[in-house]
Amino acid sequence: MKPIAPVAVLAAAYLLVPLLLGGNAYLMTLLVSALIIAGIALAWALLGNLGGMVSFGHAAFFGVGAYTSALLSMQAGLPVLLAIPLGGLGAALAAVAVLPALRLSGPYFALAILAYAHIFRILATELKSLTGGSAGILGIPGLPTLGGLELGSRNGQYLLVLTVVLAFIALYRAIWRSDYGLALRAMHDSEDATRVVGVNSTLLKAAMLFVSAFMTGTIGALNAHVINFLDPDYAFSGAWTIVPIAAAIFGGYRTLGGPLLGAIAVYLLDQLLFKALFPSGHQIILGVLLGAMILLSPNGLLPWISRRLQRRPATEVRHAAA
Amino acid sequence: MTELILQSLYSGLLVGGAYALIALGLALVFGTMKIINLAHGELVLLAAYVAYTAESQFGLNPLASIPFALVIVCASAVLVYLLVSRIRVNRELNSLILTFGLGIILTNAVLIVWSANIRSTSSAWLQDAVVLGPLFSMRSEVVFFVLSLALAGGLWWWLSRSWYGRAVRAVSSNRDAAKLMGIDPVRTELVSFVVAGVLASVAGVAIYSSSVIQPALGHALTIKAFIITVLAGIGSMPGVLLGAVLLGVTESLTVTLASSALQELAGMVLFLLVLFVMPNGLFGGARRRG
Repeated sequence: MKPIAPVAVLAAAYLLVPLLLGGNAYLMTLLVSALIIAGIALAWALLGNLGGMVSFGHAAFFGVGAYTSALLSMQAGLPVLLAIPLGGLGAALAAVAVLPALRLSGPYFALAILAYAHIFRILATELKSLTGGSAGILGIPGLPTLGGLELGSRNGQYLLVLTVVLAFIALYRAIWRSDYGLALRAMHDSEDATRVVGVNSTLLKAAMLFVSAFMTGTIGALNAHVINFLDPDYAFSGAWTIVPIAAAIFGGYRTLGGPLLGAIAVYLLDQLLFKALFPSGHQIILGVLLGAMILLSPNGLLPWISRRLQRRPATEVRHAAA
Repeated sequence: MTELILQSLYSGLLVGGAYALIALGLALVFGTMKIINLAHGELVLLAAYVAYTAESQFGLNPLASIPFALVIVCASAVLVYLLVSRIRVNRELNSLILTFGLGIILTNAVLIVWSANIRSTSSAWLQDAVVLGPLFSMRSEVVFFVLSLALAGGLWWWLSRSWYGRAVRAVSSNRDAAKLMGIDPVRTELVSFVVAGVLASVAGVAIYSSSVIQPALGHALTIKAFIITVLAGIGSMPGVLLGAVLLGVTESLTVTLASSALQELAGMVLFLLVLFVMPNGLFGGARRRG
């Protein structure tokens, strides 16, 4: 890929979007939410693409990150910008509880982690003294002002979440290019063969689970400080799993940019169009989208488009044989 | 206290019947196709809502609505099969995502058609108390428990004695070898989906008759069925029955001794314990799972 294109996209994302759309509070709120979804979608895709694991429980990490950061900033009085990455660490810590599920393969892991998401939601509801139970937490501190930049404003929120998501993309790319990434991609073809040549596959998969949980938790923490409110049904809502999966599959979960583009497309469509069509069951279209993508173009829209337009793969993070 | 515990053991046993039917369907499809149908609980949910419509619109007893549920749920199961069988690449993971999507579609379709309200049967006959010594239950619980046992027995007979049942087991243990013996694996897979649909229909009507239903239930039932298959270990039919009763009893004991809010948690803790201590399930062989 030519170096010009990413620079142009970055410039547009950082300068043009706030300048042109910054006045429209509703649109900026939607964009921030879309970027939140993008962050989860990216973490989900990392686990699926590098770790070979499908997760239906990312809502667990999202919620744990959100609660950890909210409680740390409110009850321990930590600065918000410190509490957010600690929220990510909290989610990674929660992932330790998921580790026994790693010995399960394929469908069993996916369902075990689905069960975990429910466990965390019930815990958040029942541990009333810590989390406030189903009444939730009100008045979570917003994002602070940093060096004159008001992060709590609509534009500030947008820029911060955008930066975090882009940093995660860079982290994903670095892992993919490293020796560990090579081993992980080899595991995709044959885990047994990779173990034979001396790769500790369980350890690597666990590492990917931690990275993915950390990313999702950080995003959850960011979101908590953006909307300033949490309750268990919101923080651990199945939507935090369903929408990112639909986004990642739609954009192409084996590409770096797919989850981000997919999230923006899917989230905006969902909020602006699907919700108007089906006020109560608008997720039905996400289900249709998910099914249609798996059946028609399982690698997502981005590889499909780039194949059509450029006749060469764009930023495909994909093993040739995978 | 002893009475309470005895009572909850009894209630758990009764609810285990419906759980067993759901888990058996999930395990059957996993056996032949090596995929987990994440929309399985939603098929059960669909049957429950068919029974609700038959009762509220046409005044049918839920027991009499079973044939209608059978037709609709089996047709949906065939549809799920036709979609899943189209997957060619990376089948294991893609089929998970596809059936997850189908589950979302079904849940939201139920939400759109029947709204989010909680429903339960109004049949006085089914809700009558049945007293068995010191133990109480609704008539529907006993009726459907007996029906579940009969179905499980029928399934056992079918799997071990009939041609198609043996074909299902043959495809489950070795697809290629079964093919060489003249078994059409595609037709066998379809049959396993239909049989799973039959089990799901009865289970759905059972749940509607003895408890309350709402659209999010399907998802929870899929998880329960999965927990039961983990408890049971793969390929063990008595294991599934015992696992279902174990889950039912654990849930009802939790409700009695602790709180109903922890009901779901209890099943999952049980599941985690088994996962930690005996990863092959309580009744499975020494095989590695998956």
